[in-house]
Amino acid sequence: MAHKHRELLIDPLVDNNPITLQVLGICSALAVTSSLQVAFVMALAVTAVTAFASMFISMLRNHIPGSIRIIVQMVIIASLVILVDQILKAFAYEISKTLSVFVGLIITNCIVMGRAEAFAMKNPPVASFMDGIGNGLGYGLILMLVGVVRELLGAGSLFGITILETVNNGGWYVPNGLLLLPPSAFFVIGLLIWAFRAWKPQQVEEREYKIQTVEAH
Amino acid sequence: MADQSPSSEAPKGFLRKFQDLPTDSIPKTLFVAVTLCLFASMIVSIAAVSLRPIQEENKLRDKRINILQVAGVYDPSQNVREAFQAFEPQVLDLTTGKFTDDFDAATFDDRAASKNPELSRSLTDDPAGIGRQSNFKTIYLLRTDDGAIDKVILPVHGYGLWSTLYGFIALEADGNDIFGLQFYQHAETPGLGAEVDNPRWKALWSGKKLRDENGDLQITVDKSAPAAGIEYHVDAIAGATLTSRGVDNLVKFWMGKEGYATFLSNLQAGEV
Amino acid sequence: MGLRNLFDRIEPLFEKGGKYEKLFPIYEMVESFIYTPKTVTKNAPHVRSYVDMKRIMTYVVIATIPCIFFSWYNTGWQANSAIATLGAASETGWRIWLLKAFSIGLDPSSIFANMFHGALYFFPIYITTLVVGGIFEVIFATVRRHEVNEGFLVTSMLYTLILPASAPLWQVALGIIFGVVIGKEVFGGTGKNFLNPALTGRAFLYFAYPAQMSGDAIWTPVDGFSGATALSVSASQGYQDLAAAGITWMDAFLGFMQGSLGETSTLACLLGLVFLLATKIANWRLVVGCLAGMIGFSLLLNTIGSNTNPMFSMPWYWHLVVGGYAFGLVFMVTEPVSASHTNVGRYFYGALIGVMVVLIRVINPAFPEGMMLAILFANVFAPLIDYFVVQANIKRRMRRYG
Repeated sequence: MAHKHRELLIDPLVDNNPITLQVLGICSALAVTSSLQVAFVMALAVTAVTAFASMFISMLRNHIPGSIRIIVQMVIIASLVILVDQILKAFAYEISKTLSVFVGLIITNCIVMGRAEAFAMKNPPVASFMDGIGNGLGYGLILMLVGVVRELLGAGSLFGITILETVNNGGWYVPNGLLLLPPSAFFVIGLLIWAFRAWKPQQVEEREYKIQTVEAH
Repeated sequence: MADQSPSSEAPKGFLRKFQDLPTDSIPKTLFVAVTLCLFASMIVSIAAVSLRPIQEENKLRDKRINILQVAGVYDPSQNVREAFQAFEPQVLDLTTGKFTDDFDAATFDDRAASKNPELSRSLTDDPAGIGRQSNFKTIYLLRTDDGAIDKVILPVHGYGLWSTLYGFIALEADGNDIFGLQFYQHAETPGLGAEVDNPRWKALWSGKKLRDENGDLQITVDKSAPAAGIEYHVDAIAGATLTSRGVDNLVKFWMGKEGYATFLSNLQAGEV
Repeated sequence: MGLRNLFDRIEPLFEKGGKYEKLFPIYEMVESFIYTPKTVTKNAPHVRSYVDMKRIMTYVVIATIPCIFFSWYNTGWQANSAIATLGAASETGWRIWLLKAFSIGLDPSSIFANMFHGALYFFPIYITTLVVGGIFEVIFATVRRHEVNEGFLVTSMLYTLILPASAPLWQVALGIIFGVVIGKEVFGGTGKNFLNPALTGRAFLYFAYPAQMSGDAIWTPVDGFSGATALSVSASQGYQDLAAAGITWMDAFLGFMQGSLGETSTLACLLGLVFLLATKIANWRLVVGCLAGMIGFSLLLNTIGSNTNPMFSMPWYWHLVVGGYAFGLVFMVTEPVSASHTNVGRYFYGALIGVMVVLIRVINPAFPEGMMLAILFANVFAPLIDYFVVQANIKRRMRRYG
């Protein structure tokens, strides 16, 4: 059992990562990764919501009628998200200001729904909890990687601590403004997926069709 | 059906009866839906109600920190509430340029007032792009130990490139020398327009003057200095022409006759 | 031919099993640059044509020659004039030293002095592009085992011509890397890219380093000189004020104004267009579509009018000559790989660009120039346009025979 739980935790980090393999939860990954601190809090929030949502849904799984299955999952997830949002507003006001609507939008994060539907409805609570933690951490890992690239090259700092002194503050580093804009996360995530699949070729999807090539020479 | 739905006070046997029903039957579906909704709404409302005071306090604290910062007296190690005791909030009537006691300065909300037709007016000439303007604004006075006015902190807002910028401008007691300008809310382009938050750019405002000797408003945010001279000129932000123009417009608007001009001349005449 | 013999002698070294097997792309690049490619289509169907990839790309480079020469002249003329106004204090940097050492001087009325000064800005950017971009081309060609394509010669030339003369070389290098890797190689190289690589690189720089890529101080590479482009003058004061800023329509048409290296002169671009159309490298449908879209939409905006936005009243013949419209029309819109491939689709593709340019220039408050973004936008839509055209054809045929 313990072995299986460890697998549930480790597997979503690289081998079955929700962002790079399943390409879920991209939306918030674009919005909150321009600063590491924000990305970190967002990762924690998603991990907490995924873990507890999976656990509660798993506890109720034998009593959830199929006809209102999705609604029941949504109610549980939404309540947890509101709870997290309220707590952040009360105890981490500065960060909740930057996260703004994106905490609320965890409700629509496909990872949470996806784990509830794909795993928690069929597995016991403890395993579901572990699975939720694992997927939240897998999401968080990518968020942090993207955040490091974007904050370091875009603003010259990490966690708000200046690493590369920018020109505007009298230093030498010319910050890359593109990385402060949300679309840049698309490029960074794309490059990460490229790197992951070069490292683990088994993640490469099968081609839908093959391009015919003409023999050379 | 509705009166059959069980409440949380239902006897245990009753609960057990529902629990043992086939999961997909209609009574069970209703039971699950209703109990879950009750339970979830209870948790959410408890959280919202119990955390509200802390959240309100945070919002207030945030605003106060901004006022402390623009007045140049913010010290992170100091208690914000105590530091803020030095400031005296006043509701200002823009048309007369005098303080009014019609509203409680601690709670008056000029953003809400700008939507109320009785307390506000719509602007025909609207360079700052704000639509409606409240006739009353909450301003803050910082007094020296002997009770004389040291600085006045005036709220300003206006449209930049993508968003409305909300901020404060701090003036010296003569009502003409600028001490600082700070925005606490905006959504300008990161790295360009958002450089209005850059401490180096904010520092440019310190020591500038609003009006020349003839009383003409000369303060300008631009790339090159105006004819009036360097003490009326703040360098525009590199690469953010439109945000800079927005700041230029909003400062001119709020310091002009539609804004605080009447109050500032009262201040200079010592009639405050 | 000694050179041919040399190639034939060393070729086995680079072929499969040879000593330098991995370096085959580099051998192939040098060989096919000098001689006609040996590759012959062996599978059916056979299409005989004098046009091969190498010839297309060479012709495009030839078509840019008027723009290249004009870029030297205009850059040098702008720089020399600025120095003449600002005085000796602005005479700094190695270029000035070089110009003086060869006693060419800084006379804005001397064509030769202007050309030489401008070329001193053009070549550092161009060489940086070739070297850095070339290194990445070769890396990908080696790893992916495809050939380095002549397309890169076009990409590097176009990329150079759409940069401002004062662009820092490290940014030039970053931009071309982004253009080559993200704009082309990740999709499999020339022929499989759906974005124009030169524009992708330029767009990267535009968003990453806007302070060095837009504004008023960057177009003439003289410190302390500030001159707005025709588009930013029109955006803030209206095109009627261009005359006051010293730009007549004829100036704009000929290209004597602020702007990126090679895109100021509409005339030079049109010379290139005539060549490309005459050699049938460029498809005239794309050009017609793009002109129609721009003219039609700007006429529409002229009629709507606006009290607050002076750009609404800008007539189409001004849109044609300011900013990068002409350059984009001639060299980017007609680029065959990233455009639509069906004849009907080409009209729509061109028109989409024409409409988007005017839309971005007039309505968007943040970007005075719209050609680059419009073309990249349409690049993304090109396959969709083709899809609808093909589907419509299928439906029509079904109705006829079904």
